[in-house]
Amino acid sequence: MDLNTMLSYNWGAMMPEFIILGTTMALSILDLFWPVHFNRRKLAWFALTGIILACLSLISLFSFETVSILSDTFRLDSFAKAFKLLLLIGAGLIILLAHSYEPKEGLREHRGEFYYLFLTALLGAMIMTSSGDLITLFVGLELLSLSSYILVGIRKRDRSANEASMKYVINGGISTAITLFGMSYLYGVTGSVNLGEMSRTMAAMTDGQLQYIMGLAFFMVFVGLSFKIAAAPFHMWAPDVYEGAPTPVAAFLSVISKMAGFVILLRIFLSLFLTAPGDAFGALDFLEKNNIYIASMAGLTIIIGNVVALRQQNLKRLFAYSSIAHAGYLLVAVATLGGGYFLLDTIWYYLLAYVLMNIGVFAVIQLLSSQSGSEDISVLAGLGRKSPYLALAFTIYILSLAGIPGTTGFIGKLNIFLGTFITEPGHFVLAGIMIAGTVVSYVYYFGLLVQIFFRPIHSDKVVKIRSGVSVVLIICAIGTVLFGLFPNIAFDFLHDQFGDFTDFISSE
Amino acid sequence: MMENAWLIPIFPLVAFLVLLLVGGRLRERGAYIGIIFTLASFMLSLLTLMERFSAPTYKKTLEWLTLGGTQLTAGFEINQLNALMLVIVSLVSLLVQIYSLGYMKGEGRFSTFYAYLGFFTFAMLGLVMAPNLVQLYFFWELVGVGSFLLIGFYFYKQEAKAAAKKAFIMTRIGDVGLLIGIILLFWETGSFEYGEIFQAVQSGVISDGSLTLIAILIFVGAVGKSGQFPLHTWLPDAMEGPTPVSALIHAATMVAAGVYLVATMFPLFLASEAAMQAVAITGGFTAIFAASIASVQKDVKRVLAYSTISQLGFMMLALGTAGYVAGVFHLMTHAFFKALLFLAAGSVIHAIHTQDIERMGGLWARLKWTGPLFLVGTLAISGFPLLSGFFSKDEILMAAWTNGNYFLFILAVITSFLTAFYMFRLFFMIFAGESRRQAKQVKESPAIMLLPMLVLGVLAVISGYIQTPWFGTFLGEWLVEGNETVLGAAHSEGPAWVMILAVSVALAGILLAYMKYARTKLPREGLVKENSTLYRVLENKYYMDEIYYFTIVQMIKGISLFLSYMERFIIGGLISTVTGSIEGMGKIGSKLQSGQVQQYGMIAFLGLAVLLVIFALTGGYLR
Repeated sequence: MDLNTMLSYNWGAMMPEFIILGTTMALSILDLFWPVHFNRRKLAWFALTGIILACLSLISLFSFETVSILSDTFRLDSFAKAFKLLLLIGAGLIILLAHSYEPKEGLREHRGEFYYLFLTALLGAMIMTSSGDLITLFVGLELLSLSSYILVGIRKRDRSANEASMKYVINGGISTAITLFGMSYLYGVTGSVNLGEMSRTMAAMTDGQLQYIMGLAFFMVFVGLSFKIAAAPFHMWAPDVYEGAPTPVAAFLSVISKMAGFVILLRIFLSLFLTAPGDAFGALDFLEKNNIYIASMAGLTIIIGNVVALRQQNLKRLFAYSSIAHAGYLLVAVATLGGGYFLLDTIWYYLLAYVLMNIGVFAVIQLLSSQSGSEDISVLAGLGRKSPYLALAFTIYILSLAGIPGTTGFIGKLNIFLGTFITEPGHFVLAGIMIAGTVVSYVYYFGLLVQIFFRPIHSDKVVKIRSGVSVVLIICAIGTVLFGLFPNIAFDFLHDQFGDFTDFISSE
Repeated sequence: MMENAWLIPIFPLVAFLVLLLVGGRLRERGAYIGIIFTLASFMLSLLTLMERFSAPTYKKTLEWLTLGGTQLTAGFEINQLNALMLVIVSLVSLLVQIYSLGYMKGEGRFSTFYAYLGFFTFAMLGLVMAPNLVQLYFFWELVGVGSFLLIGFYFYKQEAKAAAKKAFIMTRIGDVGLLIGIILLFWETGSFEYGEIFQAVQSGVISDGSLTLIAILIFVGAVGKSGQFPLHTWLPDAMEGPTPVSALIHAATMVAAGVYLVATMFPLFLASEAAMQAVAITGGFTAIFAASIASVQKDVKRVLAYSTISQLGFMMLALGTAGYVAGVFHLMTHAFFKALLFLAAGSVIHAIHTQDIERMGGLWARLKWTGPLFLVGTLAISGFPLLSGFFSKDEILMAAWTNGNYFLFILAVITSFLTAFYMFRLFFMIFAGESRRQAKQVKESPAIMLLPMLVLGVLAVISGYIQTPWFGTFLGEWLVEGNETVLGAAHSEGPAWVMILAVSVALAGILLAYMKYARTKLPREGLVKENSTLYRVLENKYYMDEIYYFTIVQMIKGISLFLSYMERFIIGGLISTVTGSIEGMGKIGSKLQSGQVQQYGMIAFLGLAVLLVIFALTGGYLR
């Protein structure tokens, strides 16, 4: 590759990534050379500025035609744009959270590191949304994973943080190994790592034996990625890690990292297995034929997430299980392909809802736990009387997570639910599990509301809300209600900007 | 006016929001905000109803959400049924709020109470205005939330908390049925709009089997909300809420929602014979079942609660026997006299601070206003001639008779008898006989509480005259106007003896109650001289009493004991099995979560291995 080819690439397509990368490097240099006594907290504003700039440049790229550069390893298609937008919004909110995060023993000299590691993780996730071949996908995934291992353990002197980080590394290692093993099979079957090329080879594959290998590869990639999205039975790390991780990092894992997991899952599934034949006759495509496996995992995830959440007393563990259950709902959409062509709308909208409600919840957890030093659900007791506005915001997030009408979570769940009926044949059992799981989830969600409104005040200490967190709380609450009442705002935006994601599915 | 009707639910919502934000500062003055906004809502409802008498149905929708190729709309519709409902709901809510000014005096969370009332009213008004099933479901759930908040208003009481939870969960069970029904309906017809659904139903695109299934699933939702057997158990427990709330829940909101749902979806039910039967039989059974339980209860509010269940059963029975007009008519009259009874009961409780009727008695002389008003309500619900309940109950009996469902007709007649009996038992035990406590300090309630009762009392007497066999059937004609083919006749004509039978069983019930519970107080000679037949009856009064006791009462007691055991053990047992097994699963799940990272890895590898083995086996790759 000579210089001219390099220069001929439309580098503008990578603008958001470059901005994040630049910010990261600037932050690390600043952190290195800034005198020790300077408060590293200010770096958060710097990081936030970077994220906002990246977001703006992404928006300016919306009108761009689909671009693919670096021999089709990096694609900026509507899929990438739509999910990158969500990633950046989520990351911006979490940076605000992190700015006011103050554990008991302090983050000390690691605060600076926190921000740029956070940005590298974000960068990894962004690359995943855009990657056009297995190598970039994998590099993005690892960039995200490695950064988050450190982020989990950033409270260096905290034992539980160390334990969490260790567990995360080991489980992450297993997951990476399995994914990579699966990917190597895919390479072996197709002789390429470029998703477009691979899909063409696989579409023509009618040999039963090769299809079996393809199946093995499918399962290994699926299982490996299931760690990332915390789907059962590969979810077991999640509660332990969330509990030990700093609250903003737990929010990051449950929102950004999970979203990235779904992004890579969709990229691989839709570009490779949707077109590959499922049997020797090619009557069914591969994904359609084997979606029973995804469906069973979705069902299992919903059941385990919701049922085990019933017994949790630690807020972070509880929301770890809740986020496992939500991964299950999202998998339902994947299993049913969202009822045909609006799969991506459904998932995008649900992830939007999930970003808003889950980050909101973690913001409240961070406020309360840093105030009282405890993460037990009893810290919520009497919040309704002590700080009614905070309680109101929390109630909105909880109602949305529970899927009560009037909130974004309801519309998201409704879309997924309808999807199970629209596909032929309908996934009625899965729909039933989803309803049952939702009903069970009411028990623990409303248990939290009972704490807030019907229990005597836990401690008289006034909850101080820093401006950063209050911005997060307000954005999440308003977004949850707004998109819940007028979901067409989001859907119209999606359709106007990205059409029906045709460039993503048809161009392979 | 009708194009502004969307403001009707908005007023209480505004009241709710205002009270939520500044209620703490307003304290007792907050009540006036609630009352003024509800008054506005009521006036507008009244104007809307007036206009609807002459104008055609008004419908306004906006596109709300596009899902794939389907568009969901949001808006409102004013047809005969919901114009009537709007007035009932806003009126009862208004009266209850005025009444609460007196009843809840001294309550610390006064403004919270009014905020919840506003929210509840908003949800119910929104529900009846909904032009499609999605919006209906939306408000249906909000009604559930409102009831949860209000029933659990005394959240520091253990029973109130449990009751709120029970109400919410029990009705949710019904809601699941409703939701599945709605989704199946959408699946079959591709629409949530009432009009389009009914068109599809009438054109016969849906197979009979799935039509029946859908109708029954929707009915399950109504069963939950309207406290029909077997999902009725939350209703008596819901008495833990403040008494005005009981009046609201039992008369105009919440339980009326289920009946309203069946009435709104009436063309759908009509298309399925089996579904109609299910509705009628559930209603008929619930009516007699609850009435028998009501006959042995000792708590004044519980008697009224079972009576509500029983009356709702009547309405379902009417709807199930194609008596659309009868069902809606009874819904209306019942709203008035049941609200009256609850408010009057509240007034009694307010005066003597107990709900146990065995500790009451002899209050007639002391409660100069409450007593007669309670009597009016009791007479109306018993079907005493010329009061509202008489006409609407007569309409239901006629509907059951002309429908040819003689078994249900007999059930309804027996229930009428029981209704009269237990209501007068209640009345006599409260007001007749010796004062069973030193009640010097028993004082009549303040005027602010009596005024709403007076309004309801007048309505309980006169509201029946809009649909009578003698003075015209105005309500029926108006309700079915334009839809005669579907909704049926404006009035069921039947043999005259039906009415005579209804009156005589009601009177018999009253008489029985009188003999059992008020007898001792009356001068014996006065009656003996007048009638010699009655003399013999009185002569054998112990004998008669014993017959009654060993046959009817014992039997009824036996049945109600059996039924309440069934309720407690079989139905309760089923429920605890479900919750128990879910908890057990949770325990196993958290046991597996041992914190051992090697175990996590093992489970993950096992999971992968299982997937691969199943894949290999089902794909036939391991030959």
